[in-house]
Amino acid sequence: MPHAIKRLFCIGLLSFTPLIHAAEYLSGPADYIYSPIVEEGEREIDTKFGTQSPRNGDTTRQSGASIGFGYGVNSWWFTEIYGKAIWDGNTSQFDAVEWENKFQLTETGKYPVDIGFLIELERPQNRNEGYEAKYGFLLQSEWKKWQANLNLLMQGHYTGTENQGTYFGYQGQLKYRLQPEFEVGAQIYSWLGQVNSWNTDQQQQSSVGPAIFGKTKLGRKEAIKYNVAYLWGTTAASPRNTIRMQAEYEF
Amino acid sequence: MKNHLLSLLFAAPTLFIGTLSYASPTATEIYISIKKGRFSPSEIEIPAETKVKLTIENFDDTPEEFESYDLNREVLINPGSKASFYIGPLSAGNYKFEGEFSPETAQGIVRVK
Repeated sequence: MPHAIKRLFCIGLLSFTPLIHAAEYLSGPADYIYSPIVEEGEREIDTKFGTQSPRNGDTTRQSGASIGFGYGVNSWWFTEIYGKAIWDGNTSQFDAVEWENKFQLTETGKYPVDIGFLIELERPQNRNEGYEAKYGFLLQSEWKKWQANLNLLMQGHYTGTENQGTYFGYQGQLKYRLQPEFEVGAQIYSWLGQVNSWNTDQQQQSSVGPAIFGKTKLGRKEAIKYNVAYLWGTTAASPRNTIRMQAEYEF
Repeated sequence: MKNHLLSLLFAAPTLFIGTLSYASPTATEIYISIKKGRFSPSEIEIPAETKVKLTIENFDDTPEEFESYDLNREVLINPGSKASFYIGPLSAGNYKFEGEFSPETAQGIVRVK
């Protein structure tokens, strides 16, 4: 019970910051699927890269990448700091600093669904965007060699002059755990519109496609984890296609 | 569509509360100790299609990590402390586990029958 109180205290403290929201919604090319499971003591250098092709006839791909350091503080709190960059055919720029916090709310495997909570705070380089916050429930379930994830997320900017609104979206993933080095599955990323003003089906941003995953041990307590996905946009407002990948060095 | 997704939005906290209040049948608990870089017992037997709680206590003065790809679990056990987690329901078969920090000696297997 004391652990539960500590978790609620941390969540409450971090939740207090983004009381006022207003934001552009953005399904970034380097987005990834969050897992509610926290591994105590895990340290990782986390790199992500993504590139997407716009649908409006523009052939210039939009790309993003990030590098971060994450640490499993205890059995229920994982925290990570990122730096993010974006570029298109002509320009590149440092985009933002991000602080991700993940709280595992249930004991691993105790219930049919493992539940976590995410709070992510971002300081965009463009100060007109103010600060960005993303938060929501992370759900994971497993059955035999299958693992399924569903994350229900809210995202918004506050204190800025651009991108008003709070947006709702979800992420989903289905994975078959074939062997440690190679697993197969599928991912979906979707932003549905502002909480108080839903987009029409075609205005929503949604991308879905196959993914592969794996982990290779390099030595004692050292490993490389990766996942790669190719996603097709399923609505007129979505990128035509997205290639996204993540590689983590755990030590 | 909108109503459907609104339902999804409200489903998460409902699921959270529902999950926490879910009255699971009491899971069988199995105790494993770690001494001198070895699991004891290193071989455990559990019934198929049953959820089991594993409690692992580390008596060594160095940390150990219970790791099993077969069981989809990675759990750190600090020196002089213990950690608990659940596995299953599993199909009949053998599921290997090891201590990531001393894989030469810390080996074990869960036999599901």
